[in-house]
Amino acid sequence: MASEYKKGISRRTLLKGASATAIGASATSLLAAPAIAQASNTIRILTVEDPFFFALRGVLPEFEAETGIKVEMESLSYGGLQARLISSFVAGNPDADLISVDNIWNGQMMDNGWLQPVDEFIAGDDIDFEDFMPEVIYSFNAWRGKIASLPVATYAQGVMYRPDIFDALGIEAPPAVGDDLSAWTWEAYIERLQQINGQSFDGQTIAGSVVSGQQPAPVVHMFTQIAASHGMKWFKNFPQAPWDFEPLMNSPENMKAANLFKQIYDLSPPESLNYNWFDAGTRFSKGDIGMFFWWTPYFYLIRNDGYMSGVPSAIKEKYATAPLPVASDGTKQTVSLGGWSLGMPANSANQDQAWQFMRWATSAATQKKMGLYNEFGYQFSDFGRRSLYDDPELKEVYPYLDDQLVMFQQGDGKFSRPPSPIYTTLEGIYGLQLSKILSGQSSVEDSLEETNVLFENVLKGNFLIPYERDSYDDTLEGTKELMAKLAGG
Amino acid sequence: MPWLLLAPSITLLLLLIAFPLFFALYNSFYFWNLQMSPQPMAFIGFGNYEQALSSSTFMLALRNTLLLSIGGTAIQFALGLAIAVLLTQTLRGVTLVRVLLIMPTTIAPIVVGFLFRYLYDANGGLLPWVLQVLFIPLPPEGLLGSSTTALMSIMFADVWQWTPFFAIVLYAGLLSVPDSLVEAARVDGASRWTILTRIKLPVIKRTVLIILMLRFMQLFNTFDLVLILTRGGPGASSRTLSYSLYQQGLIDFNIGVASAMTWVIVLILNVILAIYIYIAFRDWEW
Amino acid sequence: MHRRSPVATVLLYLALALTMVFFLGPILWFVALAIRPPETAFARPPVFVFEPTLRAIKHTFVDPGANAQHLTNSLIVAFGAVLLNLPLSIPAGYALSRYRLRAKKYIMLWYLGLLMAPPVAFLIPYFILITRLGLSGTYISMVLVLQTLTVPFSVWLLKSFIDDVPVELEEAARVDGAPWHTVMRRITLPLAMPGLIVTSMFAFVFAWNNAAFPLVLSSGSTTTLPIGTLGYFATSGVTWNFIASAAVAAMIPPMLVFLTLDRFVVRGLTLGAVKG
Repeated sequence: MASEYKKGISRRTLLKGASATAIGASATSLLAAPAIAQASNTIRILTVEDPFFFALRGVLPEFEAETGIKVEMESLSYGGLQARLISSFVAGNPDADLISVDNIWNGQMMDNGWLQPVDEFIAGDDIDFEDFMPEVIYSFNAWRGKIASLPVATYAQGVMYRPDIFDALGIEAPPAVGDDLSAWTWEAYIERLQQINGQSFDGQTIAGSVVSGQQPAPVVHMFTQIAASHGMKWFKNFPQAPWDFEPLMNSPENMKAANLFKQIYDLSPPESLNYNWFDAGTRFSKGDIGMFFWWTPYFYLIRNDGYMSGVPSAIKEKYATAPLPVASDGTKQTVSLGGWSLGMPANSANQDQAWQFMRWATSAATQKKMGLYNEFGYQFSDFGRRSLYDDPELKEVYPYLDDQLVMFQQGDGKFSRPPSPIYTTLEGIYGLQLSKILSGQSSVEDSLEETNVLFENVLKGNFLIPYERDSYDDTLEGTKELMAKLAGG
Repeated sequence: MPWLLLAPSITLLLLLIAFPLFFALYNSFYFWNLQMSPQPMAFIGFGNYEQALSSSTFMLALRNTLLLSIGGTAIQFALGLAIAVLLTQTLRGVTLVRVLLIMPTTIAPIVVGFLFRYLYDANGGLLPWVLQVLFIPLPPEGLLGSSTTALMSIMFADVWQWTPFFAIVLYAGLLSVPDSLVEAARVDGASRWTILTRIKLPVIKRTVLIILMLRFMQLFNTFDLVLILTRGGPGASSRTLSYSLYQQGLIDFNIGVASAMTWVIVLILNVILAIYIYIAFRDWEW
Repeated sequence: MHRRSPVATVLLYLALALTMVFFLGPILWFVALAIRPPETAFARPPVFVFEPTLRAIKHTFVDPGANAQHLTNSLIVAFGAVLLNLPLSIPAGYALSRYRLRAKKYIMLWYLGLLMAPPVAFLIPYFILITRLGLSGTYISMVLVLQTLTVPFSVWLLKSFIDDVPVELEEAARVDGAPWHTVMRRITLPLAMPGLIVTSMFAFVFAWNNAAFPLVLSSGSTTTLPIGTLGYFATSGVTWNFIASAAVAAMIPPMLVFLTLDRFVVRGLTLGAVKG
């Protein structure tokens, strides 16, 4: 398709125009609607309504008392937040002094000059930067050699299961962290689900598992973990240099992962085809599911019946956590990472106050307080800082922290869901095709072939194939060096 | 003088309508992804139109949209007419029924979406239970989750909301038919069905044509219900043109493709409208 | 009147009862959701009898009462839309009713066509325009774009009401030398007052029920009730009692308007084409 765009003008000229506008973006938008730059002692924070929001809001009075800065926090749904942020960036109006940034948005927001890199703030302050796990900073915050934001709630993925059901049915329990995991393959995982599915326990019929099948984001979040375990790459070369966005959606690894995912869905309640993140978790906490894997916040969320209800769920004392299964061919495990950081819009007039809040909210002390904040039950263990995983008080409340740590250490958010500039569009296509696979509307092969064609069209349409702008060799090692440099400075 | 009186409203509406249309026309020839730049990025001719029309879901969305609007309008008209006839019978309490019947139509479509999402819920919704009691088989994925029933479920919610509208309007129409006409036909031995279809409906043709068109168009533009009930899924089985447009513009933020899509939809609508107006409104007096 | 057989009568009453249950049952079921204990919301078999609780209503409208603000916003936006609508549509309705225009048919159809325009097609341009103007998240932005719905509707309906005012009265006044605007103000409008009120009330409902424009144009502090309700579909779970509580509140004003206007409902819904 894109090859026909030329018509007289060479692609190179087009792209020059394109990148020039992109680079000049922040300048133009400021001209279009000059932001009224006036520092004040009130900062506005716009965030998604994930569990961390409630914990952060709970401990917020301490910050206000400590610093005299008043904080207005507003929470939105995921889509609502995204629309608000894009509209404020387009207008050049600062809508907030701090925003919660999905790890997927970091790159795109940095490339457009929407986020203020915080390198200098970090270098000029003492925030124990190297306490953050490098895998987290790499996956969430590092972009083209700069730090775009700081992590406030970080998620990995892991397995939750019901030891009581496993025992009653005489099924071998999943291994624990530290055990040899080579036999704990996705095939073995599915075999256990098959043994559970349809059995009766405690007067109910138990389903093997539950999926989060709603398109686009939930199903992509879940599926990409299986794909990542099998070493599936989205693009020919990204984020390592030189960037090449030729899609690899129809690779054998992805076909295999999709077949496994379909098998898991077939061992789940059929209606979970439409479950979003939380529906899947809630279903598990109702008690008729044997085992599932999901984002680590569900390690604590499933203890409650309903979100922020404070009512204990049916399985509160009856579940255990386990590491994710591995690929049967010995591929090195990669755990999908996702979650939220705090970032500073470049046009905010209160950057100093915003930084104070950012360093406070992401500090070990505050994160610990959030973890111990107990209004609706303890509901925050999404730590990006290594030291908190050794904290006895936190381990008492969240006994699975050792497992969670291992998951993070195997984590790579830029591999499981690469933050390409048009991630949302790609996720929409991918989610739709995955939904078609699960519902049986089309076969794994057809869907993934189609995904690949559609990806290629869209990437060409957005001038990402061939990629002619600047690449950056984005690696975990590079992030570690950057962290050492900033911490030392 | 009349033009002076019309001017304020026409000016404002022209501004409010023309701006988006020209905006969309202009940008439909540009590559512009809001996630990459706040300004249009490069002129690409008809590239956006190609992308919009060649996407694998366009034909499906068009098919779904037509199914929904034609099917929905027809069912609502038939059911509404039946209820209108029922309301013309002398029965106790019929006035109360007529007054309360309109309630579904007063509700915001988005709220109807919430209501039916609750009714349809696969784990404990009222409707699956009712169907089960009546021994009507249900798809295991739930009414909204199955690709065979998702679109029908959206249509059903719309039928629930708008059948009363047809019923009430047709009822008023039927009452306005002069008794002399009906009596004359009865004397000629016409059956009730013949009286209804040959005498009464032709007399109220004007009303019928207007409400059919209004509903067809509203159904064609259905968006709130899809957003709340299925988001076009599973797969693309309940995706409508309006929802595709929403996704391209306000989820993917690809303004270029969304603009092209806008024009495609506007053109389709105008063709349908023009044909309808030509056929139905030829002999109107204004 | 011909006689009906008893069987036919029973069948007719049955049909009437079914109609009521089908069209009102879901509404009542949703109202019940707002006041039922949360654990009975999805019970199988359904729980029809329960002890009502005001917890959800309290949470949504009193403490912390996030939806109370949304309710106020909805009122501001809907009343604003009606207020702006009147000075625009009254003259237009008057002109279309009283003057011979060759283009009248096309003007009327043009207004009608606007009512059938796909709202989503306008969302994106408005979104960009309003943000560029720095008006994003303001009441005025929503009031302004809602005119695309309220004005065409009101022009049609007002024309039909003004048609009903005998033109002879105006002519008498005009013979006495009164200019047109005096005639309109002193004679036509007072006589068409019921029509004005009816039109305004319907315009209010149109504006109140619109969710598409506030979806992209409102911000946290100006969110209208339906969009505020949408907020309960958070990433982290759906709280159905809260949704029902807020949504039922959003249902009430339009229902009251329609009940009040009973006599004019048909006329309003058909843009004045059917006098009902």
